[in-house]
Amino acid sequence: MAIDRAHVGYALPAFTVAVTPERIAKFRAAIGETGGDVRVAPPTFMKMVEGEHNSSRRILDTLAVDLRRVLHAEQQFDYVGPILAGDQLDVVRSVSDIYERKNGLMEFIVIESTISHAERGLLGRSRQVVLVRNPKPAVAA
Amino acid sequence: MNDVPKSTTLVLAEYETGPITREMLAQYAEASGDTNPLHLDPAFAQKAGFADVIVHGMLGMALLGRLLSSRFANRALLKFDARFAAILPVNTSLRCRARLAEVADGQPDDGHLRLALEAIDPAGTVIITGSAELAAAN
Repeated sequence: MAIDRAHVGYALPAFTVAVTPERIAKFRAAIGETGGDVRVAPPTFMKMVEGEHNSSRRILDTLAVDLRRVLHAEQQFDYVGPILAGDQLDVVRSVSDIYERKNGLMEFIVIESTISHAERGLLGRSRQVVLVRNPKPAVAA
Repeated sequence: MNDVPKSTTLVLAEYETGPITREMLAQYAEASGDTNPLHLDPAFAQKAGFADVIVHGMLGMALLGRLLSSRFANRALLKFDARFAAILPVNTSLRCRARLAEVADGQPDDGHLRLALEAIDPAGTVIITGSAELAAAN
């Protein structure tokens, strides 16, 4: 079932995320990170920030996508400033594109996020490409 | 598609993750909030067409990212991209490698360090390709 292209432009209501030292520590432990500064979020921590409040699942639910057919295809991060322990971050996420390949067997959803801080401004951008593996259409008898 | 740069043969950093276990997937799900059952529930993974749970692409990217935060801590990270080329079953190890990227024609000499990244399974299958751009820290 094709994803309704009318969802391009769909944005979640903006939300805020509190970055505690504990959350950075827990994330570092989960990825086996031992180097770097413990007060600075690791490079892929932005994914945790943008995924807060189950936001990715809510976007896919809105697009009526079956979770069993979803794979993460691509991920890009742009870094403007560091995310630090103690930060209160503002997150905006939206669907920027939906396209297909292989006659609709593969659909791609592009989700873009901005992460900013009230005083320090934009800290980073994320662009995620989600692959939806659609079943082969039944052949007419 | 990501603009993955061609790599030179010069390996700047690499390490082996060791087997990525169910416990690691559970710990990553808890820390990241990504509780997709594809990574946690074998029955769900089988319904999705896999033999067992698969590793979060983002955990693989985070493991690649350790090359950046640990080995290039004296530089400021500007960009980090990944393309998830193949799925990685649980209990598989990844070899994470950063090579110096080839300088593209017309690319400005801005002093940035450009890396071509890859994560490869023990059979030699490329699981993740990526790139990173780092500036000289102030």
